[in-house]
Amino acid sequence: MTKTTKGISRRRVLKGAGAMAGLAAIGAPHIAGAQAKVIKIGLPTILSGRVAILGTSSRFAVQLAFNQINEAGGINGRKFEVVDRDSKGRPDEAAKVTRDLINNDGCDIIIDGEASSGSFAVHEVVRDLGILCLHTCSETSSLTADPKLFSKNVFRCARQGIHDAVAGGSYAAKIAKEKGLKKWATCSPDYAYGRDNTAEFLQYAKMFEPSIEVVDQLWPKLFAPDYTESITKLMQVKPQAVYSALWGGDLVAFIEQSNLYRLFQNTAYFSGGLGDPPILTAIKNLPQGLNTAYRYNNGFPGSPENTAFCDAYVKVAPHEPTNWAWQNYAASQFIIEALRRTNGNTDSSALAKEISGMTVKKPFGGAGITMRDSDHTIINYPVAWGKTVSKSPWVLDYVDTEWSKIIELEKEWKKEKGYA
Amino acid sequence: MMKAGFLRDLFFAAVVLIVLIVVPFIFTKPSLRDFLIYVMAYGLLAMSLNLLVGLTGLVSFGHAAFFVSGAYMFGLLMQSGRVSIPVAILITVCGTAVLAMVIGAICVRLKEIYFSFITLAFQMFIHSIILTWVSLTGGDQGLRGGIPRPPFFGIDLSSGASLYIFSACIFVACILIMRQVWQSPFGYTLRLIRDNPNRANYLGVDIVRMKLGVFILAGAMASVAGVLLSLFVSGAYPEFGFWTTSGEAIFMIMLGGSQLFVGPIIGAILLRLLEHFVSIYTEYHGLVLGVVILAIVLGLRQGIADYVVDFLQRRREAKAAPAKEAAFVKKRIA
Repeated sequence: MTKTTKGISRRRVLKGAGAMAGLAAIGAPHIAGAQAKVIKIGLPTILSGRVAILGTSSRFAVQLAFNQINEAGGINGRKFEVVDRDSKGRPDEAAKVTRDLINNDGCDIIIDGEASSGSFAVHEVVRDLGILCLHTCSETSSLTADPKLFSKNVFRCARQGIHDAVAGGSYAAKIAKEKGLKKWATCSPDYAYGRDNTAEFLQYAKMFEPSIEVVDQLWPKLFAPDYTESITKLMQVKPQAVYSALWGGDLVAFIEQSNLYRLFQNTAYFSGGLGDPPILTAIKNLPQGLNTAYRYNNGFPGSPENTAFCDAYVKVAPHEPTNWAWQNYAASQFIIEALRRTNGNTDSSALAKEISGMTVKKPFGGAGITMRDSDHTIINYPVAWGKTVSKSPWVLDYVDTEWSKIIELEKEWKKEKGYA
Repeated sequence: MMKAGFLRDLFFAAVVLIVLIVVPFIFTKPSLRDFLIYVMAYGLLAMSLNLLVGLTGLVSFGHAAFFVSGAYMFGLLMQSGRVSIPVAILITVCGTAVLAMVIGAICVRLKEIYFSFITLAFQMFIHSIILTWVSLTGGDQGLRGGIPRPPFFGIDLSSGASLYIFSACIFVACILIMRQVWQSPFGYTLRLIRDNPNRANYLGVDIVRMKLGVFILAGAMASVAGVLLSLFVSGAYPEFGFWTTSGEAIFMIMLGGSQLFVGPIIGAILLRLLEHFVSIYTEYHGLVLGVVILAIVLGLRQGIADYVVDFLQRRREAKAAPAKEAAFVKKRIA
């Protein structure tokens, strides 16, 4: 005779407990196979969707940097492992995967490859958990400029809006003065970044060249596939110059459609986002003479370090480095150098102390990129503007802006915003 | 009868709460706690949506409007520094209920696809307000600077364990409230409206009022889910109110099932588990999830929980059939 019960049997409970234990075990596949000495670097970034190419370029750059140091024997016998996770460009997912990387995968350091709002979500997680983090993609100035967001173990190794605005305004004013470009129009995406970026560019362009007059401002929707309406309006208004904060696929579509209307025949064009190699190569007929901010170029700065970085990168990636790629590679160099100085000690405070004020030579050589200790953000990175040509290296005649000028105006901007 | 049902629900709620509180002490990894908070927030969103979809037959495409409203209202109140966490939650729930009343007063007068699209339109309207009202909401960057968690009644939500226990209590309380609605005469009236609105009308049911009532309740519950997520990520972002968030909640209902009360939670657990494990190994998670969901939808033609319940029911009936037949024959012979 078999014993039956109406409720849940003990065997069933034990089976359930076993299943839960199994689930918990497979929840940590990376930890199970990891060695105690490995230093784990967590990389939350966008690996799917519209900007996946930038996220994957970040991953290539971080893997390149840590593979190079692993091949050189690691630091104090400790090797590196990069653990990446896709945030899908969602802030809540970015926060969750960052927590997972720290709590589940046991990452010692976070390189935050998130854009925009995702970086603010990661920022709160790392402030909460007190782990060392370098933001490598967000260009929003307030991330490090706002003292309320400051954290002693968090840094930004990425260009930022205010630096670009001063450099872009200064360059545009110089061209406007030389060529008599007084009538300007703008065509930027209709969201906070597009509007802020355009306003700051115009503010500094007008400051350096007061004769600049804005005759029209167009705000196409973000991720709009058709820009012909905006282009037609620009043709009607006939500005002498156009500034645009469009980026990514939107920028490619805008330039290709503008080519059909021959917009650039009589109108100078200034763009903050055109100078990234994947964008430049995606445009079928890149017009000559468009003005663009530096994002990355294999010939600028013309240093052996930059050439070495580009050569090593194209061996592991299917394209040249992007803006996100050099920023991630530079962030990895800050971490590697800090670990060298601490003999492989991954304590956040010790590493943060070393990174504050540190200068790294890779990937650009020269005087190097410095992590400013006052607000934990980088300075002395390339902020040049150049002109497009129709074949590789795609952008030439880079004109750099003096960092002393940028820093001086940044101080005033911080006062205006109440950050200083 | 009602009292007995309530006591049974209360007992189950207490058991679930104890299990939720005990599990992280057995499996001590903080990541499990994080995962459960995340599932509780999205599970609550899906459960609240199912009050409309499963119970009333109103397929809302814009339910995330109340989720995002909860996250932002709570975040802004906490950043103002003038209220404590319980007061902020109370104001958020009431505020979202008023918002749901205004939106619902227009939406519930429409049926089927028209209802779905007008809810979507309202959601995108709220999403646009969040994006454009930069001085208040931070625009596309979201609510920056973190959400303060001042201690209240000796509870400090800055600690991960306290936040988890707090979330579990709120989650179970909300589920218990929704369960009472699901089982109440009001719930059965809503089922009648779903299955035969004309009959409900002839019986004297004020359909618009009933629909509006459940719309407000679902909105208020979704706002609590938004509060939990904003506490977890220490921020509020416009993506919480994008149409894809509503779409995910509908996916959870489809995956888990809409007719069993806990179906959407099962769907939320399955979807988040799938996402979690698939994204560890590949960035083509969309493809994998799509195939799994397609297999479930085409293979089972209903949510997993609904399928399991139906399967068990069929098995029980099949087992009972010969015994019934034998009893009937015996009776006839006698």
